[in-house]
This record gives sequence, structure tokens and C-alpha cells, in this order.
Amino acid sequence: MYRKQVRRRRAVLALLIVGSFALLTITYGQGSNGLQRGVSAIFSPVQSVASGALKPARDLVNWFDKTFDARGRNGRLQTELEQARKQAVGASAALAENAQLRKLLALDRGGAIPSGYEPVTARVISRSPTVWFADVMIDAGSNEGVRPNDPVINGDGLVGTVSSVTGGSAQVALIADGSSAVSAKVVPVGAQGVVEPEVGNPGELVLGFLDSTKHVHKGQAVVTAGWRGEGLAARFPPNIPIGEVTKASLVEQEAKQQVHIRPYADLPNVDIVQVLTGGSRE
Amino acid sequence: MIMTPKILVRLVAVVLLGVILQLSFFSQVELFHTSPDVLPALVASLGLLGGTMTGAVSGFSIGFLLDCLLVAPLGGGSLVLLSAGYLAGLFRERFEFRSPLLPPLLCAGMTLFAELGFGAVELMLGGSDTAVSSLVIRDMLIKSVFAFFLGWPIYLGLRRLLRPALVEEPALRRGSRPTVLGA
Repeated sequence: MYRKQVRRRRAVLALLIVGSFALLTITYGQGSNGLQRGVSAIFSPVQSVASGALKPARDLVNWFDKTFDARGRNGRLQTELEQARKQAVGASAALAENAQLRKLLALDRGGAIPSGYEPVTARVISRSPTVWFADVMIDAGSNEGVRPNDPVINGDGLVGTVSSVTGGSAQVALIADGSSAVSAKVVPVGAQGVVEPEVGNPGELVLGFLDSTKHVHKGQAVVTAGWRGEGLAARFPPNIPIGEVTKASLVEQEAKQQVHIRPYADLPNVDIVQVLTGGSRE
Repeated sequence: MIMTPKILVRLVAVVLLGVILQLSFFSQVELFHTSPDVLPALVASLGLLGGTMTGAVSGFSIGFLLDCLLVAPLGGGSLVLLSAGYLAGLFRERFEFRSPLLPPLLCAGMTLFAELGFGAVELMLGGSDTAVSSLVIRDMLIKSVFAFFLGWPIYLGLRRLLRPALVEEPALRRGSRPTVLGA
């Protein structure tokens, strides 16, 4: 009895295996056949109903999957965003630096830097936190040939003068510093005077001691005059741009002999500068 | 398994419901970028409950129906799933098992076997000329993990549905000693 059962079982198994191979051999490479089309036709409506009925459950499961996926993706995107932000900030800083260096180069090629001076490029490493002292520290010092009273410029124009020096750094008194005084002239008028700061307002300077017979107008450029007088700590080379006249009323010129100018250099945000070393300081 | 017309109807219903559920639900959901495949687990559970014949015939039927509805070459799915059902049935007939972990483990193992089998049939028929990605292995393993978790409810549900036809007594299954008169 048991053997008969086993024999029958094996026969059915063999039949199923042979049937499977026969089906594979017959239907392989034929595409859909009549049997498949018939079964599909019977089951399609059932599948359609089942698919519609199960859609909410499917959506629920897929929602979980997408939520987990989104959480993982969110973490990845955050990391990528942080990296991209760092790169963007780095690129922006590099672009700004590049622009400043280009300006310096243009100033150099434009002949604004007189012969006999050796420009030393430096970066601002610290700045005075108060408005009373418009000083910055740069990362070039006596090791690079920087000496006290050397003029300091950037791509826009005059920035200040070196006030003290150590081996690897130097302190620069900006032209907005209370101690600063620069001999200057207005071009093309030729009126000469001394540029002094308005302490606390680095965006405005005063050009005083003007010759009242030569009227200065708004928009005219002010450059260094190149001479040294009493009370002027440093002698700047001539024709370095300082700023442009922003306010030049006749009353003020005649009564106070002064006009207001806006420095070309963005003094509160100065970053890369050049120290003009090697020139005459007397 | 004691085969009566009522049990046969239930088996046919299980086969049809399993295939429709697989195609309408499980194949269309994704967890960890993988769709669960419950059919090998279903076949393994049937084999585990009914033996080699039940496993092989239900596996063949499910595979045949699947091939028809997916318009795949007939016989490939049948061959793979009948083997899975037969092996599960053989396990049931050869070994005594009491661990509740065995059905889900067998479902997971048979799912892995079936997935490898489907791959082998596909390669045998020359359907895949391109290089096979290693992600296939990941997919197979995740499907097996799904089968482990889905196998247990499938096995319990089928055992409840087919209880009148099962040869073994539930009391013996649970390990309790039968009452012997005169002892």
C-alpha cells in the first residue's frame, strides 16, 4: 500500500516535471498563446477589481517605504547641502579675493604705483573693534620689507599707512583713523589740501586747507599730492587715488576751506592690501 | 492530507487568491526597494502542511497561473515552484519538527531557492544577455527576509483553513501526551 502510494507520488511528480519542460519547450519564443490570452481574459476583471480594492493598502505600504526613503535621502541631501554651501562660500570668497587682486594688478599696470616702490601683498588678519581707532593688522611685517610709514593701498585706492611693524605682521592706520593726515590734490582742478578723517564715519573724509580761489566740484577725484608738511606723518607717493568729492558747497569752501570726499577704498571691509615698500619716507 | 472536494475547493481558492494578491498587491508595493514575493512562501506552507504531492501540485498550479497572467514562457514558474513545494513537503515527511520558527525559516529558504530558480530558468532560456547586477542578490535576500515574516501568518492561516484535512492531530503537534485507556 505504502509502496503504491510512493510510486503514484513519484509518477505525479515526474509528470509535473515533464509537463513543465514540455510547456517550456512548446511555448518558448512564441509570445502570448491562446491559453495565456484565455486565462488573462478570465482573470483580468478579477485583477482589476482586486487592484482597485487594494489600492489604499498599497498606497499605505508604499507611503511607509517612501517615508523611510525620504528620511534617508533627507540626511544625504543635508550633507550634500552642507558641502555645497561650504564650496559656494569658498568660491564666493575666492571670487571676491580674485576681484581685489585684479584691481591691485590693474592699479599696478596703470602706473599708479610709482617706480622705486616694491609692492608687498598682504591680507588683513585683524581689525580694531572700535570706531575710534581705524586700525587693521596685516600678515606682512619687517620680514617682508615692511617699514613704518609705508603707504598701504588696495585695488580701489589709498588705504592707510603702516604705523608699527613686527617680524611677521604690521599695524596699518587707515586713512579714516583719527591720527591720519594725507596731502592731497583735486584733479583736474589742482587744488591742494590735507585729507583728514571724520572719526566714527569711515565712509567720509574731509579735504581741508584748500585754496579757496580754486572751486572744487562734486564728483571730482582726489589723489595723493606727494608732499609732506608739518603734522603729516608719512609721505605718500603722488597720484594714488584717495576718493571723490561728494559735497562741495561754495559756502563751506570759502568759510571753512574744506570739501567732503568719499574714499574709493571700502575701508570697513578692506581685506587684501599692498604695502608700498622701499620708497622714500622722508 | 485527506483530500475531499471541500478541501480541494479551499486549495483552489488559496491558489487563486494567492496569485491575485501577489499580482495586485505584493508586486506593486515596495519596502526597501524590494517587492515581497509571497508565492514561494505559500507553496512552502502548503507543502509543509500537505506533503510532497500537495506541495508539488499547488506549486505547479501557482507557477502555471503566474506564467499565464504574466505572459511568460509557460513551464518556468511551474518548474521552480513545484520544486519548492516538493522540497517543503519532503521536509515535512522526512523530519519531525516542533519549533515554531521552522515554518517561517522554511518559507524564507524556499523563497531564496525559488528566486535562484527563476534566475536559473531566465538564464537558461537566454532571456538575459546583459550582465547581472549584484543588486539581484540583495533583492533575493530581502525577499527571503520578507518571506520569513510573512511565512508565519501564511502558515498559520493555511493550517487553520485546512485543519479538517490534516493528518496529524493538533494535540500531538503541541507535544501533549495522548490519553491511553487502561494505562
